[in-house]
Amino acid sequence: MSLFMQAFLVAVFVTIAFIDSHTTQIHIFRPVVVGPVVGLIMGDVQTGFAVGVTVKLMFLAVIFVGTAVPPNPTISTAIATGIAILAGGGTDIAVATALPVSFIGQVAETVQNSVINVFFMHRVEKAAEKLNTRGIVLNNLVLPMAVNAILYGVPTFLAIYFGAAYVQGIIDAIPDKIITGLSVGGSMIGAVGFALLLNSIKAKKFWPFCLLGFFMASYLGINMVGIAVFAVVCVAMFYYFKIADEKA
Amino acid sequence: MSAKLTNKDLWKVFLHQLTIRGANNYERQQNAGFTEAMMPVIEKYYDDPEEKREAYARHMEYFLTNDITSAIPVGVAAAMEERYATEGDIDPDSINAVKTALMGPLAGLGDSLLNGTARPILAGLAISFINSGLGWFGPLFFVIGMAIVSLGVRYLGVFQGYKQGVKFVQTIQSSGLISKISDLAAIAAFTIVGGFIPALVVINIPLEYTSGDTVLNIQEILDGLMPGVLGLIYTGVMYWLISKKKISAVKLILVTMIVGIIGAYCGILG
Repeated sequence: MSLFMQAFLVAVFVTIAFIDSHTTQIHIFRPVVVGPVVGLIMGDVQTGFAVGVTVKLMFLAVIFVGTAVPPNPTISTAIATGIAILAGGGTDIAVATALPVSFIGQVAETVQNSVINVFFMHRVEKAAEKLNTRGIVLNNLVLPMAVNAILYGVPTFLAIYFGAAYVQGIIDAIPDKIITGLSVGGSMIGAVGFALLLNSIKAKKFWPFCLLGFFMASYLGINMVGIAVFAVVCVAMFYYFKIADEKA
Repeated sequence: MSAKLTNKDLWKVFLHQLTIRGANNYERQQNAGFTEAMMPVIEKYYDDPEEKREAYARHMEYFLTNDITSAIPVGVAAAMEERYATEGDIDPDSINAVKTALMGPLAGLGDSLLNGTARPILAGLAISFINSGLGWFGPLFFVIGMAIVSLGVRYLGVFQGYKQGVKFVQTIQSSGLISKISDLAAIAAFTIVGGFIPALVVINIPLEYTSGDTVLNIQEILDGLMPGVLGLIYTGVMYWLISKKKISAVKLILVTMIVGIIGAYCGILG
């Protein structure tokens, strides 16, 4: 198989893996699967297994919580495996490649969530206003999934086709401050969503509960499950002290 | 119109629920996916274009929970839409309020049980299979295991969420609680939004002020007074701009990203 064909097939697989991670989530996008599959395409399954396991262990502890985007293991494993095999095997070069590439994947995903998908979401909203169900599916599913091919498939193809030097060049070209800035902005942007949600609550007189929840999490460090438990308690207190009394 | 949702309808909801993360976005997270998941229900029950439009707009509000466990509020919301469309005796605002109330517990549950427990265990087993020379059995085992978890939880979420949702609506109906459900749900929604702000709206000021031997770290001082206060203030400002000044969320998102990049560039934010 020519290098062109191999790079193309790896890119197709990475695109499918991202579509899985954004829809069905049967988890073909995890390193333990991506490594061997890329190994198979590149003609060295053993290195594929080795890189998959190594990168998986690097990412085992990374859990996607809330809106935080972790360094991306999928594109990182694919490119790392490809480059390790092209360099004649060995997981050293794979690990050296995997980490920086995972940060590029993180930047791509941050841009996808904060710019590209915001655009598509507003198109879904417009389609819904026009009662156009095909428009909803097109803009919530078809187009965002097609973007995965451009955002992750194309860079994967280029990285494997042009090799390690090219990948390093790209990594060096992105200024650190832009990467930091995107993640700083990304971690603040939830405020807009919460503001919209607060705006949609009709019974505004209950606003002190918002501060109650905030102080519980802020001063007492109660996690999200704990906050939900307190929300249930607040609801129960209001029910028994106010509503049940009125009925009695 | 009084027909209940059939199994076929619920399978359609299940399929569309798979796209919950499709246009996942920082402005309103999984809202477009939730709207797509509710499509079969809305299309079945509403004929009047205006009612349909309202139903779609309802589900375009902010929604964020774990991708997989989100099937549960999808099922519950389907039951509530059914009740509202067929009986008309619940407040449509309560649909969103109930969704919001479910976001928190399910996000915690999904992230810790699925991403924090099921996935590492299955991956760990897969790695030990690979290391003991079983080759492809490792990844295959992992994918089949995760497929059962991901699709199984979604199936149970949609079908059981619907079933329990119908019962839940009937119970509150017969207890005369229905008129108060918006109030109760508003309490839950306010508490949860407030409680989520410290974790999900994070602003750090890494500035330090040195005078002689003492170093004053602004973020440490703020954290000492009230952790997460900047996130609360920023959310408050956004709320004021949206509700009072009617500024669109898109503009606010762009401004926020620009503030983040410029702030990080000047070293004020980090």
